[in-house]
Amino acid sequence: MNRQPQSEQDGDWLEQALRTDGRAYRSTYVADDGFSSRVLQVLPRAVTAPAWRKPVLALLWTGAAIAALLAVPSLFDDVFRGAVAMFVGHRLGIGDIAGLLIALGAATWGTLIYALRTD
Amino acid sequence: MPSTPVSDAALIARAVVSDDRHAFGELVRRHQSAVRATLRKLTGGNVALADDLAQETFLLAYRNLKSFRQEARFSTWLYRIAYNAFLADARKTKEVPLPEDMDADDFESPPQENVQAGERASTLSIDLERAMAVLSGAERAAIVQCYHNDLTHEEAALVLGCPVGTVKTHILRAKDKLRARLGAWGHGNEA
Repeated sequence: MNRQPQSEQDGDWLEQALRTDGRAYRSTYVADDGFSSRVLQVLPRAVTAPAWRKPVLALLWTGAAIAALLAVPSLFDDVFRGAVAMFVGHRLGIGDIAGLLIALGAATWGTLIYALRTD
Repeated sequence: MPSTPVSDAALIARAVVSDDRHAFGELVRRHQSAVRATLRKLTGGNVALADDLAQETFLLAYRNLKSFRQEARFSTWLYRIAYNAFLADARKTKEVPLPEDMDADDFESPPQENVQAGERASTLSIDLERAMAVLSGAERAAIVQCYHNDLTHEEAALVLGCPVGTVKTHILRAKDKLRARLGAWGHGNEA
């Protein structure tokens, strides 16, 4: 059975009507009447993190890490010094640890100053 | 010397990179008419609902502007958001079907041959608008995108989120339904 779709059988009057309607539709402009302003009013405010957020977070984490090291010296001694000994070949002395902390602090503050610099 | 209008792409870039609300406002002003008119068609002429959905459309567009990849026209992308907003709303509320007792006889008979062509076209347009109510949401959307928004089948498929073949099927079915509803016009044409 060779059934042609009805739409192809009986002329183009509907096609023409749809096209004419489409042209008329496109030529009609919906007046703004304050619509754009209303849209702009409901747009969410931009949420941008303050520039100082990252360095302050870094500082807090560093402080927390140092506090943890000082609060649990035996754990620090067992884990950290043991781990370092695996790479360095000998356990770190108190001087080495002090030097490391100073280097860590200098790096943190250096990063902070660099991040907060004004161009 | 008249200034060259800034392209949509440039306005989008300004809105994304510098969160320029004026640039986005210009985009809204440019496209509000098309988006609101499309939604009015989709909602069957419910102006208040169409405007609410249009506002939601631009809000969603603003939130997702970074994800716009310029693979399609900005207007096509907006149509897609608008259609999704319409679908989401339609799922929440039941669509009102055309009353069963409304059939082809309820539509006006085509004006006689001696009536001016302008009046004939105008009457047909009104009947067409009413007849669109018999279409399913997907069929109406396909007709609106292809005939009213003048999109290609491919663009309409992108907007409607379905294969091109499905768009063509929706259009064929829609035309068959419209033809059945507007039977008097077809017979008048054959004469």
